[in-house]
Amino acid sequence: MRLSRPAAATAIASAAVLSLALTGCSASGGGGDDEITLSITTFGTFGYEDLYAEYEELNPNITIEATNIDTGGNARTDAFTKIASGGLTDIVALEEGWLGAIMEVSDNFVDLRDYGIEDRATDWVDWKYAQGTDPAGRVIGYGTDIGPEGICYNGPALEAAGLSSDRADVATLLDGDWEHFFEVGQAYTDTTGKAWFDHSGFVWNAMVNQLDEGYYTSDGDLNVEGNSELRERFDLLAGAVAGGQSAAQAAWDWNGGKSFVDGTFAVFMCPGWMLGVVKEKVEAGGGDASTGWDFADVFPGGAANWGGAFLSVAATSEHPEEAAALSDWLTQPEQQVKQSAAAGNFPSTIAAQETLSSEATPNEFFNGAPTGAILAGRAEGVVAQFKGPDDSLIQENVFGPALQALDRKETDGEGAWQQAITLLNDLVE
Amino acid sequence: MSTTSLTLRQRLSRLDVKASPYAYIAPFFVLFGIVGLFPLVYTFVVSFNDWDLLKGPGEWVGLENYVNVLTDRFFWNSLGNTLSIFFLSAVPQLFFALVIAAVLDQNLKGRTFWRMSVLLPYVVSPVAVTLIFSSVFNEQDGLANNLVNLIGIADIQWKHDVAASHLAIATMVNYRWTGYNALILLAAMQAVPRDLYESAALDGAGPIRRFVSITIPSIRPTLIFVVITSTIGGLQIFTEPRLFDVSNAGGIGGSDRQFQTAVLYLWEMAFFRRDFGEASAIAWLLFLLIVGFALLNFLVSRRIASTELRSAQRKASRALLENSRAVRLSGRITAGAVESRSDR
Amino acid sequence: MTATASRPVARASKRGLRIDRPGFLTYGLLAAFLIGSTYPLWWSFVVASGSNATRGETLPLIPGGNFLANASKVLDAIPFWQALLNSVIVSGAITISVVAFATLAGYSFAKLRFKGRDGLMLFVVATLAIPTQLGVIPLFILMKELGWTGTLGAVIVPTLVTAFGVFFMRQYLVEVIPDELIEAARMDGAGQFRTFLTVAIPAARPAMAILGLFTFMTAWTDFFWPMIVLRSTNPTVQTALSQLQSGYYVDYSIVLAGAILATIPLLVLFVIAGRQLIAGIMAGAVKG
Repeated sequence: MRLSRPAAATAIASAAVLSLALTGCSASGGGGDDEITLSITTFGTFGYEDLYAEYEELNPNITIEATNIDTGGNARTDAFTKIASGGLTDIVALEEGWLGAIMEVSDNFVDLRDYGIEDRATDWVDWKYAQGTDPAGRVIGYGTDIGPEGICYNGPALEAAGLSSDRADVATLLDGDWEHFFEVGQAYTDTTGKAWFDHSGFVWNAMVNQLDEGYYTSDGDLNVEGNSELRERFDLLAGAVAGGQSAAQAAWDWNGGKSFVDGTFAVFMCPGWMLGVVKEKVEAGGGDASTGWDFADVFPGGAANWGGAFLSVAATSEHPEEAAALSDWLTQPEQQVKQSAAAGNFPSTIAAQETLSSEATPNEFFNGAPTGAILAGRAEGVVAQFKGPDDSLIQENVFGPALQALDRKETDGEGAWQQAITLLNDLVE
Repeated sequence: MSTTSLTLRQRLSRLDVKASPYAYIAPFFVLFGIVGLFPLVYTFVVSFNDWDLLKGPGEWVGLENYVNVLTDRFFWNSLGNTLSIFFLSAVPQLFFALVIAAVLDQNLKGRTFWRMSVLLPYVVSPVAVTLIFSSVFNEQDGLANNLVNLIGIADIQWKHDVAASHLAIATMVNYRWTGYNALILLAAMQAVPRDLYESAALDGAGPIRRFVSITIPSIRPTLIFVVITSTIGGLQIFTEPRLFDVSNAGGIGGSDRQFQTAVLYLWEMAFFRRDFGEASAIAWLLFLLIVGFALLNFLVSRRIASTELRSAQRKASRALLENSRAVRLSGRITAGAVESRSDR
Repeated sequence: MTATASRPVARASKRGLRIDRPGFLTYGLLAAFLIGSTYPLWWSFVVASGSNATRGETLPLIPGGNFLANASKVLDAIPFWQALLNSVIVSGAITISVVAFATLAGYSFAKLRFKGRDGLMLFVVATLAIPTQLGVIPLFILMKELGWTGTLGAVIVPTLVTAFGVFFMRQYLVEVIPDELIEAARMDGAGQFRTFLTVAIPAARPAMAILGLFTFMTAWTDFFWPMIVLRSTNPTVQTALSQLQSGYYVDYSIVLAGAILATIPLLVLFVIAGRQLIAGIMAGAVKG
């Protein structure tokens, strides 16, 4: 007993390791040549579980080994780790925000034109297809979902300022460019003494994404410092903040959700997927549907998109053809409708959008707004801007801090811009 | 008993004495050789190259990455934050761990319950910890500010003020690790022979005196262990600052890097700025710093030993040996005696 | 001789009871600490038995009635039992291996004399000082080469013997085992391993219990590496639970219900390990 404990322990440990190692060796990549196992990595809520089962039924020789990573942030770390170590799964979901960096190494992914993606290029909204195309013209991603932006607004807050809270009226009120948006905002702030939007970060991101060229020129050069268009927009935003329109909220916290409930701000930048976040935050803050949040079919400056993903096939995959076939099937309009029902994201294929739009299911939480139809309308006309390698970095680590300083009145517009430029020079080569 | 078989036995026994130590420590080094060494060498080599995380290896640049890191103001900022958070966490933690261990060392009612309760903070899921501490340190109406308002101080900017954020993070760290370290110290305290205390009490020493002169020196090796591992851990703090700020996803530890620790900076460099070469350089520079610091703390904590205790210990172990010899002489095997004693 | 040795001790032990008897202050302090330590766990349970709205309350104290409902939602949403089993296998294997090998190595470093002992010990401690975050990449390459990605082996093998364990056992054993006892066993003709079994192991029991507990907890709560190297078809309990947080709309009452379910095995282990912390194991040798 006691005498043999360490010996027994050693034996157990080594037996366990050995048997697990052996199981590992035999579990990967099946025996016969017909049996194929495809590995796929997704993140967040993709809604593919039932679809995997369906595909396996339709294709009995295919087994799908899925991995879902909880958050986009962790998924990014996972994807980058696997690219760096050459160990991507057969199919990887890529987020729109990573594309800037990924496009530099797009050779890690198969050119889907070899598998007939061009034949269905018109399935998608044109800018989505363009986003998935690298500078050399190779198409590396089947578009899955998108995040067309509308404006979430708080009905009671607008009413308190003497404005109509009817969805169509709000759409008319806010229709126009950013200058107009901030004019309305200033009027609101002057009347009620409250802030118009929650914080500058999301507003700035939308403003930048709508430009033909953002932080980089379409040739791939960094274009921030001398960029007069960018500076113009920044000054516009800075003016609005100076006028008190920003509630200087901490993004993703919003005072534990309470700011959504106590009228701290009236409008909110809402891509389709953000609707779920708003609902959760309102509930966390002690509110519910009666708090009065609604969704208007309008966005300053026209169409805008935030987020979305693609399914890509890794170049290291041993079964690129089958992987491409699976990805293709998963992103067919029919499947995208099922995905949307399961996960609540908005599809990127036009046919799927039309289905959702025609169903026009009212969203209870948002005052019965037909969110599907609204988002379908907002999906047209988005600019497929060139995203450079450090686009994400500039958005998060350069302008993020500068705008927070601006919001908190630690500096003025000029100071914030200079702060951004300094950070840019320090962080980006 | 011929002379040849004796020498064989002697030879085997000598081999046993000489070779066994190496056999016993071999598992660690073998495993290290397989899974530990490769990552170390890999990152070491990477640190001398211009290596983009996604694009892969570039050219050899020698010490350029190290120079870049050492001239990077964000690196020094992160070091400052690291040291500040380290002091705010390690010092109170050690103190409280000692006190708690001392309290738990007594003959309490429901001993197991109290002892294991101090470990509960360690098993609270990170989700809960994040939610709770985020709420406690909420700048508008969190618990911390409510308490602070009661004594007339204005709302503290826990997530934006440098010192306040360090305090908040140190609190999160201490919360999680104090009980953990207390149990380690308790295990060591439990092995101190009770009669040392009894004889000291007979000599008139009070509880504090007994603690300082007997307990602390007796647990010195374990105390050193806690000091060193807390130092190493404290200089590598990563999860708490990362979770403390939900608003900045870029790993920058606050809107103005108020609480970006060195490891968090390393993380940003690797996964956001995708400069694998410089990130590896940061890792190795950090290694040098940690080794230096740990060595320093080791030399400082080594001084905790009094000669008077050493003689008391020698007396106790001599009595132990006398006893075991006496037991042996009376015919029972030593092993059996030890076994029965530890059954208590 | 034993009689005379024990009489003064017997007298002192009566007084010893007086030294050891803890007072009001002690229990008060412990209770205060207990409240602070326990509240987050209690909070988790309160939210887990309520709804998402409970999470926003300032100081929720009373649990609702939803715990079982939320727990069953957890069991429906993720492969909980499979994940639990995997975690038990992983954490169990690691714990047994670490405790066994760390005690062995710690004993060697603490009590045996051999060339290079101090240098090697220093090396072991130094390996603790390296930040491991970047090691994911080469480690993943290694696992890929070995063909272990997606298997539990990839999670178990890297931590089968830890420097922390070796260092801890060494520090504990160096003080707790008197050299004289080892000599005595040696004089009895015991070989190295026999000595280890009969002298070191009994003395090391409290430390082994603590190391075992800590190793198990660390392995159980590990998230990042299992996330990278395992597939969702073969999860540990932490990676499976993370799926509950993966939507845009997160119901924290379900997330925390899952967290509580995953913590229960640890609490059971607490009780088992806690009983091993017995006072004065070596002191008993003198009294006996």
